[in-house]
Amino acid sequence: MSLLALSDVTVRYGRLTAVREVSFRMQEGEILFITGPNGAGKSSLLRAIAGVTPPAGGRIDLGNSDITGHSPEDIARRGLSMVPEGREVFGSLTIEENLLVGTGMRAREQGGRTRAASALDEVYETFPILRERRQTQAGLLSGGQQQMLVIGRALMTNPRLIAIDEPSLGLAPNITDQVYERLLHLQRQRSLTLLIVEQSSTRAMMVGGRMILMRGGQVVMDGDAVAMGQSEALHAAYFGYGDA
Amino acid sequence: MTRTSILRRTVATPVLLSLILVALALVTYLIGSRPFNQTMIDLFIRVIMVVGLYIFIGNSGVISFGHTAFACLGGYMAAWLTIPPMMKGTLLPGLPSWLAAIHLPFWVAAMIAAVWAGLWALIFGRILMRLSGIAASIATFALLAMINTIYSNWSSVTGGTSSVVGIPIVRALWPYLIAAVVAIFVAWAHAISRAGLALRAARDEPTAAMASGIDIPRERLVAFALSGAVMGLGGALYAHSIGVVTPDTFYLGLTFTTLSMLVVGGMSSLTGAVLGVVLLSLLIQVLRWLEAGVPIGTSSFALPNGLQEIVLGIIMILILMRRPAGLFGRSELTLPRPGQGGTTPRTTAGTPP
Amino acid sequence: MMAGLLQILFDALSLGSLYALGALGIALIFGVMRLVNFAHGDVMAFSIFALLWPSVDAMAIVFAGNLPWFLLVPFVLAVGAGLSVLCEVLVFRRFRRASPATMMIASFALGFVIRYFLLMLFSSRPKSISLLPELSQPVEVLGAYIPLLQVITIIVTLLVLFALTGFLRRTRFGLEMRAAAENFTMARMLGVRANRVIMGAFALSGMLAAASALILAAQTGTADIQMGAGVMLMAFIATVIGGLGSLPGAVLAGFLIGAASVLMQVVLPPEARPFRDAFVYGAVILVLIFRPQGLLPARGTKERV
Repeated sequence: MSLLALSDVTVRYGRLTAVREVSFRMQEGEILFITGPNGAGKSSLLRAIAGVTPPAGGRIDLGNSDITGHSPEDIARRGLSMVPEGREVFGSLTIEENLLVGTGMRAREQGGRTRAASALDEVYETFPILRERRQTQAGLLSGGQQQMLVIGRALMTNPRLIAIDEPSLGLAPNITDQVYERLLHLQRQRSLTLLIVEQSSTRAMMVGGRMILMRGGQVVMDGDAVAMGQSEALHAAYFGYGDA
Repeated sequence: MTRTSILRRTVATPVLLSLILVALALVTYLIGSRPFNQTMIDLFIRVIMVVGLYIFIGNSGVISFGHTAFACLGGYMAAWLTIPPMMKGTLLPGLPSWLAAIHLPFWVAAMIAAVWAGLWALIFGRILMRLSGIAASIATFALLAMINTIYSNWSSVTGGTSSVVGIPIVRALWPYLIAAVVAIFVAWAHAISRAGLALRAARDEPTAAMASGIDIPRERLVAFALSGAVMGLGGALYAHSIGVVTPDTFYLGLTFTTLSMLVVGGMSSLTGAVLGVVLLSLLIQVLRWLEAGVPIGTSSFALPNGLQEIVLGIIMILILMRRPAGLFGRSELTLPRPGQGGTTPRTTAGTPP
Repeated sequence: MMAGLLQILFDALSLGSLYALGALGIALIFGVMRLVNFAHGDVMAFSIFALLWPSVDAMAIVFAGNLPWFLLVPFVLAVGAGLSVLCEVLVFRRFRRASPATMMIASFALGFVIRYFLLMLFSSRPKSISLLPELSQPVEVLGAYIPLLQVITIIVTLLVLFALTGFLRRTRFGLEMRAAAENFTMARMLGVRANRVIMGAFALSGMLAAASALILAAQTGTADIQMGAGVMLMAFIATVIGGLGSLPGAVLAGFLIGAASVLMQVVLPPEARPFRDAFVYGAVILVLIFRPQGLLPARGTKERV
């Protein structure tokens, strides 16, 4: 059974249709990239999956539960963690507080061993820079550090699937490399399922895995990232050559 | 899209609304009952005030809780100008002698009152219009309280909290009707003018508006001053309709009533403003009758006092929940065009959809 | 001389405390929901009138009002919290996706509904009540005689501030509230339960309203339907001056306004004293010219272009 299944999901903002009857499935442990030009509906799709924008039509299943139109907090508690575009750290909270927001648990007791504390330790293992600066206000961090923070934050809830919207936005290429390196390390370590929206299909092709190309709110291509990257069809689809 | 074509296309709205008011006036004349006449006078005064509110709130999107202050200013100015000088001497000893000696006909006084209120709106608006939406709303509340405090305490000039009596009462309906029609046309003229358009653009898309060179505080100020003047007119006529003013006449109760009429009718629609007044005035009248006691059979059935405001409040909340744009949203009453219904949504450019 | 100054100081602190508590109640809800709750003052009045129910006499404390203070105070706090939460569940919950302006007007209307409900039950004449009369005795502090009530007001306010700060900084629920105040949607995406956080904010706000009302009723000895209005206006203004959404800003501004108010009472010539409030409002508007974003603007309330 697939971990995430979308059937004919449609998302509208007023009279504007951002996502048109999109369907696909994800298996556990898979890495899926969604790419496409601006305005293709990638972020809107992710927001529908995360419950921020209820879909106007279609159905979304996480595991064997229907999560269509559920509230964001419900979906998060069912194991789908979302890292939205622009990172969205809680600027006035410290790194540690940011990490603890979703855990429903008190700040770490001195010497106590709670579930939150162990999750916290794991995140600090993966992102040592966060441990160093854990009492710093998140608003003061650099872009790359913030990106690592929000990924770590998403991990704290022990999710089955993490959806990330544009992780490379506003980051220098070498920082993006670092972020992706950590991300993939995590994916291997915990067999996480990753759904990543990336405007740059190049990154997708570097990382490998599956790729979906969206344009005008619809899925235009769906296949192996590397194979697609080598085909002419990708360029055509990206830019709409041959459209009516 | 030339000036005259916008004019021609949209003028149907104020004309139709005025015709509705004229019809109501005719009905009142035919019924010939004094209490009904008074009710209609109240209605026309509220039309003036709510239209005044619309000029600012509807076009700028900023909620003002303080406009009743300008009605207060206008009402007291009308009192100062029309009360017989002898009474003024005893009632309001603090008035400067030239003011105490003045005795003007009500319609002149009303116009002066409107200008007076508009001027103060200009002064206060200059300060307030630079604030963000929510802060501005709270500041207008402070403005209302400030005027109320000043007028409640400056006894020598305003009579303080005691009623200022002696204002000549105008019982004929037609002055109020004329003033209401004037207010409607003023609102319409502002709405289709460049100032009105710019303000609505700023309401809908502030960033784009600023990028297009629109000076948002300035446009807001224009609307604020104009709406203050209209409110002043309403306040002056209110004074003439009952012959008495106190500072609390123009305080929270009136604010609540006028705001609710605008909200229910549709904040961004002139039609909504006018028809909101008509509809809710009807409702208030019915509730008043019920509160006074209705004979059913041999006994009398009376609603408890205070229910009127509760019902009004609940209706307001329900409308805001279900139709936050009000009954008319942004639509205006127009003549049916071939293939269209009787209301046309007003787009920012004034073109039909 | 010293005694006079001390008295002025305590006046300023106790009035400032009252305004600070009110401002805190408003700021809490604004922070989480971007709602300016105009019904807050009416929740205040309601909490006190609950003491008088079911009697409608001009002079009465019946039923709950006759309880000893350690039962009476929690009762009033519970009433305030309860009404506040009821407002959220019945009304504000339906306005989650509405604009701040719409919510503001709705709260204005709701306040009127509550006020006229009280009017229906109790009539508009203020009722004298004798609430905790032991507190009006003066206490000697460094040579000045300060009413005990003022001292208690200040102490209670400081305790409340302390407790609230501790709650927000050290508990999970407090953390969730702070996160939600900064970025509500993001907090939800991390599993924070929106409704619970909001209800919590309303409950706290209601308790603050009730506490303010208790202090006011003890100070003035009357229960009046309009009693909340004066404090609330100052509280709104404090919230704006302090920076919308900033809790420390609201408290600071509340104290500043209290101090300014008392100062004006002392400094103004006697003819001008009745206009004291008008001066305060005017001063506020002036502050807003020079610093429209407030004294301590909260992060996260800036609009993103």
